[in-house]
Amino acid sequence: MSVTPQDTASGPLPLRVKRFRRPRRNLAIPPLRGLLPLIIGLVLWQVLSHGQSAYYPRPSLWWEGIEHEWQSGALKPAIEATLKSFLLALVISTVLGTLLGILIGRARRVDRALGPFLEFCRFLPAAAVVPIAVLAAGYTEKMKIFVVVFAGIWPILLQVRSSVRSQSPLLLDVARSLHLSRERTLRQVMLPSLVPSIMLGLRVAAPIILVVVLLVEIVTQVQGIGSLISTAQKTFDAATAYGLLAIVGVIGIAVNALLAALEGWLLRYRPDGS
Amino acid sequence: MATEAVPQPRPARRSRHVRVPLNVSGILFLLGLAAVWQLAMSTGLLTSSFLPEPWEIGKSIGDLTGSGELTSNLWHTVYVTLVGWALAGLIGVAFGLAIGLYSKVWRYSMASTEFLRALPGIAFVPVAVLLYGFSVKMELIVVTYVSIWPVLVNTVHGVRQVTVLHDDVARMLRMSRLERIRRFTIPTTAPYVAVGLQVSLSLSLALALVAEMVGNPTGVGQALIVAQNTFHPEEMFAYVIVIGFVGVLLNWAFVKMIERGFPGTLSLDGEQR
Repeated sequence: MSVTPQDTASGPLPLRVKRFRRPRRNLAIPPLRGLLPLIIGLVLWQVLSHGQSAYYPRPSLWWEGIEHEWQSGALKPAIEATLKSFLLALVISTVLGTLLGILIGRARRVDRALGPFLEFCRFLPAAAVVPIAVLAAGYTEKMKIFVVVFAGIWPILLQVRSSVRSQSPLLLDVARSLHLSRERTLRQVMLPSLVPSIMLGLRVAAPIILVVVLLVEIVTQVQGIGSLISTAQKTFDAATAYGLLAIVGVIGIAVNALLAALEGWLLRYRPDGS
Repeated sequence: MATEAVPQPRPARRSRHVRVPLNVSGILFLLGLAAVWQLAMSTGLLTSSFLPEPWEIGKSIGDLTGSGELTSNLWHTVYVTLVGWALAGLIGVAFGLAIGLYSKVWRYSMASTEFLRALPGIAFVPVAVLLYGFSVKMELIVVTYVSIWPVLVNTVHGVRQVTVLHDDVARMLRMSRLERIRRFTIPTTAPYVAVGLQVSLSLSLALALVAEMVGNPTGVGQALIVAQNTFHPEEMFAYVIVIGFVGVLLNWAFVKMIERGFPGTLSLDGEQR
């Protein structure tokens, strides 16, 4: 087989014709100009705020507050501690929530018997668990992770449970007729079919987990950004508190964006991810 | 999901409401759990300085109710939760409608909304304490601020589910703007608003607790901290169990209310946004 020079010269054929798109009224992603009110608000704040306001320090002072925290060496370990707890709790909640969700969803009787108990745990505010966890484990990293997982596991567990319940029996029939082992059934049949609901649970759980990490830090003063904010409040250092709030906001937005990207990647084989 | 697991003692009046049978095995499991726990503790199989016997917890609930401590604390927390939630609902729906109905408003404000929503609300608690001191006002502001977002975002999403087809039908039938809103916008949006309000309700309770633990020293949140500091695990568990039940109860009451007032609205299942 020979390649004629013409083929290579003309380059790849224009296989991709630009698709005609009907003008959509309902865009999914809001345009960036929507940030204008926020930016105008912050600029007005900066301009109108006079001198050293004790309660509403101008945004430029926030930066100084953060810089001061950074130079004192407290900020970096705090951010690291918060992110570490967040990631650890996220992984534990996902794995544990998925496994328990599958187990509970598979057994109808168990599912029904555990119903009220799960309902109770799910509506129990995480803050209420903090004192118990402190008594049990003290002011430690372990306590933090325990409380956070306790709060973050429910969206994933319940989502997986209801998805397993409504799973088509055909899927398992196929696995059985192919004589797949238990482990392979779980890995190649159950888990892939559960990915969308795990992701949905994760989308709900991740912000909750971040919030509860901060909550534990604020309430118990365990190392983290939360305890820094709490300290700033107690020393009436409003500028630093606002600055830390901004950092927390950036983390929150990054988490949302990363999860959206992860979901898009995991479900890339679906024609219309929704 | 929520309606199914909660036992319904009262028979439904309307024929379309299927009566959910009492979940006997679920109640038995809870009782069994308590029994095993009690047995393990009284036989000495399980000893712990922080884990009280279920019997003690029950007694503590009785004592605290008898002294009026539990009732007044609970009343304060529930009051703050409900008022903050109602305010958040009003504000959220109002802004949600404004953003959802007018695409210009949407284009020039939705990104800001998404940005603010992504800020973990809990981080505002210390700032609110700084700004408003230890007051009920602070509690209400924290609860309201955090609870607005689910309602607002769901309302916007709901309004935007009204499609071009709806518009075409409306134009064909020469509907007035008001009629269009009544016939299309409200029925389409209502389920989303309901889900937003449901999420906000449990969020409100959680935030009220946090605000009480960190800031305003009243209510169940403060009682929990006091019980922890004075090392009264049985009181702590008593409050935790009661507040858990209050959470379930509030959700149940909301679901019932919506089902009665606006049947079919809670058809969207699972947590949304």
